[in-house]
Order: sequence, then structure tokens, then C-alpha cells
Amino acid sequence: MEKEHQEIEQPKAVRCCDLPSNCDANQTGSVEVPATISQDNPDAGELDCGIEDPFPCKGDDAAITSTNGLSEPQGAEGEGAPASALSDGTAGEADGLSKPEGAAADEDDPPENVSDSASTDNTLEDSNEFMVTVLARGGLEDQADGTPSALSEAGGPAQGPAPSHRDEDVTAESWRRHRKHVFVLSEAGKPIYSRYGNEEALSSTMGVMMALVSFVQSGDNTIRSIYSDEHTVVFVQQGPLVLVSVSCSRQSEQQLRSELLYVYRQIVSMLTQASITRIFERKKNYDLRRLLAGSEKILDGLLNLVDSDPSFLLSAVHCLPLASSLRDSLSQILQKAITPNLVFSILIAKNQLLTIVQEKTVIEDARLEPADLHLLLNLIGASSAFQAGEIWTPICLPLFNPDCYFYAYISYLDPPECTVCLLLLSTDKEAFYAVAECKRKIDEGMRTQNALRSIARAQSYSASQVGVSDLRHFMYKPFDVPDNHRQLTQFTSPEMEAPYSSEEERMRLLDLYRYLHSRIHSSSRPLKLIYHVAERETLLAWVTSKFELYTCFSPLVTKASAINAITKLLRWIKKEEDRLFIRNPPKYSTTPNPSKSSRGGKGGSDRQDTTDNGFLSLL
Amino acid sequence: MPEYAKMKKPDVKLVILGDMNVGKTSLLHRYMERKFKETISTVGGAFFLKQWGPYNISIWDTAGREQFHGLGSMYCRGAAAIILTYDVTNWQSLVELEDRFLSLTDTANSDCIFAVVGNKADLTDPEAGLKEEEEEEEGEEEGGEGEKAERPARPPPTPPSPVARRKVHREDAIALYGRILRYKMLDERASLPAEKMCFETSAKTGYNVDLLFETLFDMVLPSILKKRSGNDSPTVDLEECRGAKRTKAGCCS
Ligand SMILES: Nc1nc2c(ncn2[C@@H]2O[C@H](COP(=O)(O)OP(=O)(O)OP(=O)(O)O)[C@@H](O)[C@H]2O)c(=O)[nH]1
Ligand SMILES: [Mg+2]
Repeated sequence: MEKEHQEIEQPKAVRCCDLPSNCDANQTGSVEVPATISQDNPDAGELDCGIEDPFPCKGDDAAITSTNGLSEPQGAEGEGAPASALSDGTAGEADGLSKPEGAAADEDDPPENVSDSASTDNTLEDSNEFMVTVLARGGLEDQADGTPSALSEAGGPAQGPAPSHRDEDVTAESWRRHRKHVFVLSEAGKPIYSRYGNEEALSSTMGVMMALVSFVQSGDNTIRSIYSDEHTVVFVQQGPLVLVSVSCSRQSEQQLRSELLYVYRQIVSMLTQASITRIFERKKNYDLRRLLAGSEKILDGLLNLVDSDPSFLLSAVHCLPLASSLRDSLSQILQKAITPNLVFSILIAKNQLLTIVQEKTVIEDARLEPADLHLLLNLIGASSAFQAGEIWTPICLPLFNPDCYFYAYISYLDPPECTVCLLLLSTDKEAFYAVAECKRKIDEGMRTQNALRSIARAQSYSASQVGVSDLRHFMYKPFDVPDNHRQLTQFTSPEMEAPYSSEEERMRLLDLYRYLHSRIHSSSRPLKLIYHVAERETLLAWVTSKFELYTCFSPLVTKASAINAITKLLRWIKKEEDRLFIRNPPKYSTTPNPSKSSRGGKGGSDRQDTTDNGFLSLL
Repeated sequence: MPEYAKMKKPDVKLVILGDMNVGKTSLLHRYMERKFKETISTVGGAFFLKQWGPYNISIWDTAGREQFHGLGSMYCRGAAAIILTYDVTNWQSLVELEDRFLSLTDTANSDCIFAVVGNKADLTDPEAGLKEEEEEEEGEEEGGEGEKAERPARPPPTPPSPVARRKVHREDAIALYGRILRYKMLDERASLPAEKMCFETSAKTGYNVDLLFETLFDMVLPSILKKRSGNDSPTVDLEECRGAKRTKAGCCS
């Protein structure tokens, strides 16, 4: 059946697609996302925890980022207590809980980080040295001798001398000090993308990386990561592409790995996996930049979002809080504006989801993954330069199907402000005018209901609205979305307010969350509950079978009051959930007769019918 | 006429083609919004409607990236005018027009008109660069009278550097125009003259931008009128495309 489905992109639409596609190749590969976090967990784990301390310099930057709260012994205080108080949840299991958090921290970290690299085999130490020395030659010097400068950026936001990172001097100190480098190269070692500096100038560095990958490969092994004093280097190979993250952000290897997968998927979203595979099958040293030229900003934008937007960390979608009646009427407006082959109608404001309506057959059997939606949101952000127009572009949703294109219609409903964005996805390349007509209808519907005004008034909320003193911020991701477990995974989170109003502080809080997240999802020793006393705040993270919750309190909070606060918070969320989440994602049907659909007058060619059949058979 | 505007049914289609980075989006943006601002490389294509007198002209700003190459012929389907854009400081961008973009226009109307446009003239031509200070300082908003953008106003204060960077001369563009006509198997004498159809523009300063678009708009009017009288089905666009495609395939093979 998939064979038929190929017809979708067959229509010589985009050049890379006119090659015969091997859709079936990777239908399953797509399911990766939710798994990434726990997946690469070789329980070989503890083996050689002695290899290296990933954070040997903790002491140095103690004053700079409080991520290093993890090295401070204060955690002893965290001992067991929350367990008893919170045990009404499913978190009662002794395992994660009774480990006194802080006490655990010190001995905990090395194994946690090393566990993954255990799979790297025992040449790790060698390769590390190798990496460091060769990379130094290639220009990516690893400064083992604690130049403090390297650390100073660690907690800060990616400093933003705006867009022209491309022109950076890759031999400069400032280049080396970036918090997180990302490189993409082909198996043949050809540079494809570098977050900072242009790939050309980095070709020798990338060559070295590839040499390293193949060096380990030649021993029938896969290189996964390298730890040096300040940097974590993570490798991900996806088909013919190799992605490398060189980070001093202190994120866990798993997190970095899942970020690299986002990068990979964004590339797939532009080219499809099938065509990437085919291109390199034909010509091993093809220069993929030919096809990606111009997309650097999309990848740059993605990496900035990954660093600053917790949606990526949580693999969940952030909805704009909205009275459910208003959300319902928006959905109805979308539901009424349909045309054949339209499969998703999505409304976005302020980079957050307002509502999403899906074709019936689609919603029954598949769903839009948060990761795919993140890629779409990023694309919208990157293409908004000229906002008065209506964009029509092919886009692949890698988790939905990595090998075929949808056609995305993107337009703003409120020019010239351009805050409310409509995204319509069709499977028909030729459907632009029909889809644009849907937009006209939606415009009309919005106008008669004065919906734009209501949307403009909608806002995120403040943590203070919860009515719990000391609660500064939180992120709550429910697993038990009502009614439909196949629903889009969502999370809710208040605005980040003082003291997290500066870019820098926001990043610091996110780093703390990332740290907690890495502990919770540690492959070697996952925790269910963490009470973490950091320098300037106290955090509590808690995962149950029903939700995942991260909270941030003022440092003055006591454990008892924090626990109390969480009870109140959960109650508040329960009360507000109709407003905070999309509860009943509506559907429409654009294919009343799926088997032999009535394509009507509009371009009723044979091809479209196959498209349609193919599409449905996909599901 | 106002009802027309509301319905926004495009009467005629104009497509901007050309390599990545030559300034297609910037040109259109300059024309529509009277501004020059930072752009992001276009994905797919972007559709705009411009009201021109009683008519609605649809304009497709396409992506120059190779990645989207295959979509080009779709955007061109049924086009009444095509702007082939190159960058005057980049010889390859002119070459690409012939190598990569010309064939996409096979789906355009048979009476489609072509313009060859060398953008970024501010980098090579003192006169084109002139307006820059003027516009950038005080509001780009004086757009209304922008029609005179091309007027060679003040005596050029000879800005020295840019002129050196010119890589494509007007004669090269004119020669290309001739080859386009030949490709289209059009009679050179019966077609619009190259001198009239080759422009040098600057999206940055606005130089010749209004002239370009408005000349083309006026030129496609007959095509609108023909279409109106011919049939007034609202789906005329699509019908026409298919028709055009078939004819083309016929005569090309
Ligand atoms: N000096 C100068 N620069 C220009 C001019 N027009 C565009 N640019 C610059 O050229 C770059 C590319 O402009 P775009 O308008 O995005 O190019 P494009 O042809 O739309 O590119 P794609 O969308 O990728 O096909 C931008 O950095 C513009 O600022 C011009 O007239 N003069
Ligand atoms: Mg553009």
C-alpha cells in the first residue's frame, strides 16, 4: 500500500522527489521521538564510572550557574521527605525517592553520564584524547586547562550578535566559547551545516569528526559521545548524515541527542528522508548544501528555539490558554472551511497553539506528533519575513511520514500585526487556490465572530494566579489527556516573570529544569521525585504515571510548604484545565467517500485520486 | 469595483523567478510595502494580490533555492508575465536564468511576456545607489509618489567603490532576452523590444522598482481584457492552465 502512497510526492513536485521513493523503508523509523529519551540506554551502564568526571571544574563556576547546585551537598536535606507527603500520587516507590537527592548528586552524575558512553567501547579514553588533539588541529580546540572563559558562557544565553554567525572567524576564541555547537556532515565527511561559522571554513574540523566516526566504526562500534573537561560531544548518525553536538551546556547526553534528532528531522522536513537516502546512494560525496542552501536560518532558528523553548525538552506542545467556548468556536470556524485533501487546519498565535482540527480519517489512526508541530512552528517563524503574502510550500512531517510531502498554506489573519497565523496542510500540491479559498472563509468566520479581538486578548498567565506564594514558575505535562489518549501531547506553563525576566535568568532557570529533567529521565537511575535546593531558588520535579511536573520556588520555601504548594497547584490546574489545554480536538471529513472519492470539478485528474487513496492507505 | 476587491479573484498572474539571493522578495517587498528590510530565504512560493485599478493582479514570489525547483512550473502555470531576476554583481545568477528557470516557464500562457531584471543595481550604478540615503533617512512611507523612483534626480556625488563590482552588463541581459524569445519561438519583431523589457533595479534604494512592476501591469492589461471577454468563469485560472499546458506540450515535443 505504501507503494501507492508514493504517488503523493511522485508528481515531480520537488525535484528531489522525482526519484523513485522507498517509502516503506522507514515507516517505523519515525516512531522514534517519544522514545529518544529512554531509548539509548545500554544497561551496560555502570561499568567504568571511573573514566572521567564530566564536570570536573564544578568548583570554578559555582558562582556563575547554579546548575552546579548539583555538586553542593545541601541536598541531604532533600532526604525522603517529599515522598511521604506526596505519596498519594504514584510516586511513592522507594526507589527514586528515598535517594537523598543531594547526596545522590555527587556520586550520581558520573555514572549517569558515563553510562551511555559505555557503549562506545573501551577505546573511549583513547578516542577522547584523539578527539581533543585532532580537533585542536582542525581548529576546534578543546581547552582542557580550565581557561575560565570557556565556562563563563556556560549558564548564559547564546549571546546574540545577531544573524551573521555565518561569517564568524572559526579560529577565534569567541567561536570556541559558544555554548553549543552543532555540526551536520555527510558520511563522506562533507560539511552540510554548522551553527556558527561557515561550513567551508570548518571542513577540516568536520573531516576530523568523520574520521573519528569511521575510526570507531571500523572496530565494529558506534561512537556515541565523548566527555572532556568542559565539553560533551555527542554523535548521532541518521542514515547518511552524521550530526554532532559539542556542548558546554552541561545537558545530558540524552538531551543533546534528542536535540540533534530535531535538527535531523528539520532537514528531513525540507527534503524527505527517502530523497536524502537516495541522493547519497547515488553519489556518496554529494554536497547537500546545494539543496539546503538558504535553509541555514531555519536550522539556526530551530537551535535557538531548542535552547529557549521547553516544548522541545518536554516533547509537548504549548497551547495558548483560551476560554474553552472561544476555542470551540475557533475550531468550528476551521471545521467549516474545508476542501478535498485538506488534512490539518491549525491556528497559531504568539507561537502557541490555539486549535488544531484534523481530517477524520487522520485523527482516527494517526496524529500529529508534537515534534512535527514544533518543526512547523519553526518554519513559520522563519518564513514570516514578508507577512502580507500567502505561502505555499511543500513540507514533510518526519514523524507522520518521513518520505512524503504535505503542502502547507501559511498566512496571517491579522496583517499588519501578524500575530495570528493560519496553517493549512493539504496532500495535494495543486490545491493552493482551493486552500486559499478556505482561508477566505476562515477570515470571514473570524470577522463575524469578532474572534481576532478575543484572540488578541488571550494571554499566557502568571504563576501568581495560582495563588500560592513562593511558587515562581512551573511546567506541567499531563499524560492522561482526557477522552483521547491519541491526543497531541501538551504542557502548560506560566509566563516567566521576575526574577526570570532577563534572557540570562530565563536561560538559567531552563538549565535547572534541564538538569532536573535529565535526572528524572536518567537512563541509569531514573528518579521520580527530586527536591533540589539550588542557590537562588528551590525546585521540585515530580513524575507520576499521570503527569510530569517541574516547579520552581523562591529559595525561602520549606519542604513542607513546597509540597503543600504542589497540592494546591495540581488542584488549580485541574480547575483550569479546560482553558489550559485543548480537550476535544475536533474533526472534519473532506473525503466522504474514501475509496472512490469525489474529487469534484477541481482538477479531478487520475493522479489526484491515487494521491488520495495512497494517503488513506498510509494511515 | 470595490466588490471586486473584496472577492479578490485574481485576474492575471505574474511570477518572479530567479536564483536564490538575487532579491526577488526584496523587490516585491519594496514595491508592495515601500520598504527594504532583512529577508529570509523564501520557502516554496508566496502569493500576493495587488490591486491595479479595477484589476487584481496575483504575484508569485518564488523560492530560488534548488530545493524548490520542481515547484516552479506549477507557480508559472497560466502566468501572463514572468520576471526573470538576476543579481548584477553575480554572473552565475544570469546563467542560472537560462539553465534552470527558463524551462519552468513552459507552463505559462502562450502570450506570456518576459522581463529580465538585474537587481542590486545600487552596488554598481552610482545613480541607482543615489536614492539610498534619501529614502533610508526619512520614511520609506512616501511611497505614494514612488512612481518616479527612477528619475535621475541629483547630480551623482560619485560614490566610488560600488561600480567595480558589476559582473553583468545590460548587453548581457539584452542578449539573454533575445535567446528567451528564440526559446519561446517568438518572432523578435513582433515581440516587445529588449530595451523595454530589460531593467536594472535596486530593491534597496527603490530604483526602477515601481517602473518595473507598473510597466508590466500595464502590459498585461490586454490579457485581462481578453480573458474577461472570452469567458467569465471564476475558475478561469485553472482551466486556462490546463489548456496552456497541453498546447505547450504539443508544440514542444
Ligand atoms: N545591495 C542590495 N542588496 C539587495 C537588494 N535586493 C536584495 N538584496 C539583499 O540580497 C539578499 C537576498 O534578498 P532576497 O530578496 O531574500 O532574495 P530572494 O531572491 O528572494 O532569495 P530566495 O527567496 O532565497 O530565492 C538580502 O540580504 C537582501 O538584503 C538590492 O537591491 N541591493
Ligand atoms: Mg525570496
